[in-house]
Amino acid sequence: MPVPAYLAWARASWGGKRLTESDWRALMVAAQAGNAGVYRRLLTEVGAWLQRYYYRRLPAAMVDDAVQEVLLALHEKRHTYDPSQPFGPWLAAIARYKWIDRLRVMKAASMEELSDDMSVLDHGEAVQSARSLEVLLDRLKPAQAEVIRLVKLQGLSIEEAAARTGQTISLVKVNIHRGLGRLTALVQDQTDEL
Amino acid sequence: MSYDSLINRLTEDLKPVRRRRLGLDVMIIAVICAVELGLFFAAGFARSNMPAMVQQPTFWWRIVSLALISLISGALAILSFNPTYSPRRGIRWLALIIAICIVFGLCIGAGPLGLDAIIRRLNWQNGVQCAGKMIALSLPPLIGFGVLMRRGAPTDRRGTALLVGLAAAAWGAFVFVFACPFDDPLYITVWYSVGCGIVALISRFALPRLARW
Repeated sequence: MPVPAYLAWARASWGGKRLTESDWRALMVAAQAGNAGVYRRLLTEVGAWLQRYYYRRLPAAMVDDAVQEVLLALHEKRHTYDPSQPFGPWLAAIARYKWIDRLRVMKAASMEELSDDMSVLDHGEAVQSARSLEVLLDRLKPAQAEVIRLVKLQGLSIEEAAARTGQTISLVKVNIHRGLGRLTALVQDQTDEL
Repeated sequence: MSYDSLINRLTEDLKPVRRRRLGLDVMIIAVICAVELGLFFAAGFARSNMPAMVQQPTFWWRIVSLALISLISGALAILSFNPTYSPRRGIRWLALIIAICIVFGLCIGAGPLGLDAIIRRLNWQNGVQCAGKMIALSLPPLIGFGVLMRRGAPTDRRGTALLVGLAAAAWGAFVFVFACPFDDPLYITVWYSVGCGIVALISRFALPRLARW
């Protein structure tokens, strides 16, 4: 018995090549005919495409639910796909429909309004400290200030800071040590002046 | 995230499907409408003075207008069962066609316009009955369209439901034309609009819930 064209293609392309529009169409036609192996491949590819689609349109926490909902819709409505038409717009129309549906639900969901007199922490002190630190760092040598920012403020490792700045690991350590010493001296000078 | 469990479940559930065919949908609706019209005449609901009625310009105005509205809205509704088709532009054109039909009818038979004359011409007791009969005659195509809409995949459910309502209502009114004893364009415009409007509104608000997918 001859192998149908779509099945021959599916077997040949199982190695993970990028799908073209005609590939999508062939997969969907095979799925409509009841070919489970091809259908699995189609759903996997569609799932990956939907993830990319929804990451740009929905909060990250909602993406998985949205993808699963479209996969279910695709399964339920697979008989509405007309093979004489391209598969991409058909899938995109369903994905867009489910996206708008989800936005409507989000809009309709009750939101708790925040009261005007709700107490919040005062960030003034933190902002002032950050500003003071920046002023102090500006008074260090640029190489010292840079590695202190990377290692002590941004949390990079010594090796990562060395790779990023082009300094050797030992030089990074020395610059941090000397920079911190210089900062301590600057702070002490300011305290004495007060 | 991997969707393996869902994909496994869907793959296990996979069965060959019979594709939705546009021509079959059209044929189903055409058969429903033809059977309804046939039964209507067979039951003797049509007016007995048909030869005189066909000489009235308002008769042809009603027949042509309602057939046109029914055909266009029905075709657009069936097209919009496909997820890639948006019915929005079609609805705007349909609204324009309906407005032209109404204005044309009012022009061909302008009658007296005093308040008393208008109230007498509207004849609300008969008008309510006519609207009720039109609504009843709209039900068979409305149910047929509703089943097809549920099987389809409309992505603008509200727009599609409105088109379905307009198509079914226009068809119900079209059939009712053969039994309607009134020829006054004002009466026809008002009460036919009421009957069709009720069906369209019911469809617009009820069908989207049934066709949720």
